[in-house]
Amino acid sequence: MYDFAYHRPASVAEAVKLLAGDPEAKLISGGMSLIPVLKQRLARPSALIDLGAIPDLVGISVTATTVTVKGRTTHAAVAASAEVRQAIPALAELASHIGDAQVRNRGTIGGSIAHHDPTADYPAAVLALGATVHTSRRKLAADDFFTGLFATALEPDEIVIAVEFPIPEKAAYVKFPNPASRYAMVGVFVAKGPRGVRVAVTGAGANGVFRHAAMEEALAKSWSPEALEGISTPTEDLNNDIHASREYRAHLVGVMAKRAVAKAG
Amino acid sequence: MAQGIGQALLETRVHDEAGQFLSGSMMDYTMPRADDMLNIPVDNAVTMCTHNPLRVKGCGEVGAIRAPPAVICAVVDALHDYGARHIDMPATSQKIWRRISASRQHLAAE
Repeated sequence: MYDFAYHRPASVAEAVKLLAGDPEAKLISGGMSLIPVLKQRLARPSALIDLGAIPDLVGISVTATTVTVKGRTTHAAVAASAEVRQAIPALAELASHIGDAQVRNRGTIGGSIAHHDPTADYPAAVLALGATVHTSRRKLAADDFFTGLFATALEPDEIVIAVEFPIPEKAAYVKFPNPASRYAMVGVFVAKGPRGVRVAVTGAGANGVFRHAAMEEALAKSWSPEALEGISTPTEDLNNDIHASREYRAHLVGVMAKRAVAKAG
Repeated sequence: MAQGIGQALLETRVHDEAGQFLSGSMMDYTMPRADDMLNIPVDNAVTMCTHNPLRVKGCGEVGAIRAPPAVICAVVDALHDYGARHIDMPATSQKIWRRISASRQHLAAE
């Protein structure tokens, strides 16, 4: 680890000010992605701005139509929330399978989506459910939020405050974990609800999470695993590594999508 | 036995063309874990050694040595209908998928 300055602001405004004043500074939430990178000296931020002391960044609120998860809410809190389990069981279940118990007790939804690791689980839920990301300066639709590999629409001094999920009629997430790391090698989140029928794929795309238009069209006509029969996934933009070729990932997208639709019922 | 099953199904050293070791961390090198394993009943089938007065013989790494052929024989047997008579270790899910798809394409072409 290299040296860095450490800030612990007491408000979002103060955090934004610190960020704006230092382009080399990084925000730290749970640190479950950032700390390993720092330990391996793969990043050298001038400063860490710890969001841990800001009140009102943790919590879950549920209305008749939405579930809102604040940015610093841990995966464990989402997984254990009776309200989330009731409103969007697929979201609670997804959170319960992120990383391991230690990661779930530290890692946060804001950190996960702002990092946009191509193998992260949360981006699939955010995109498939058509969530709205509330930031320190605006509201961003999920479709506009994820812009590429480890890239989002967030400005350098913008902070994720909360993620607002519309409650779907049906939804499910199924992943095929990488056998070694247990990250999603392919994860598919399917949802039918106020934002229409949406299918989001994580783990597979070389540019991060993406929507599967052909599957969405087929499922909009007929919500059943059989409707996905014969629908292929173009391989050009898929990841290719020692664990799975593009072709194998494309195959797994089909299998996971069918399982997800079956699970959603 | 877990070690032998790991060798049969999961563990592999991967190098790129320049010789760089690609599976050098636990994020990439797949070790068997508790949830990869079954409860395996263990028993002894005792056979007296015929070559020495004590009728005993040293033996080690029984599980690690015996597990790979047992697992691979089972995999090859399961893939028999797809024309498999051999599969290289480790028999990962991707490798098995490739074997099945190659066989299906071959059948479709006939």
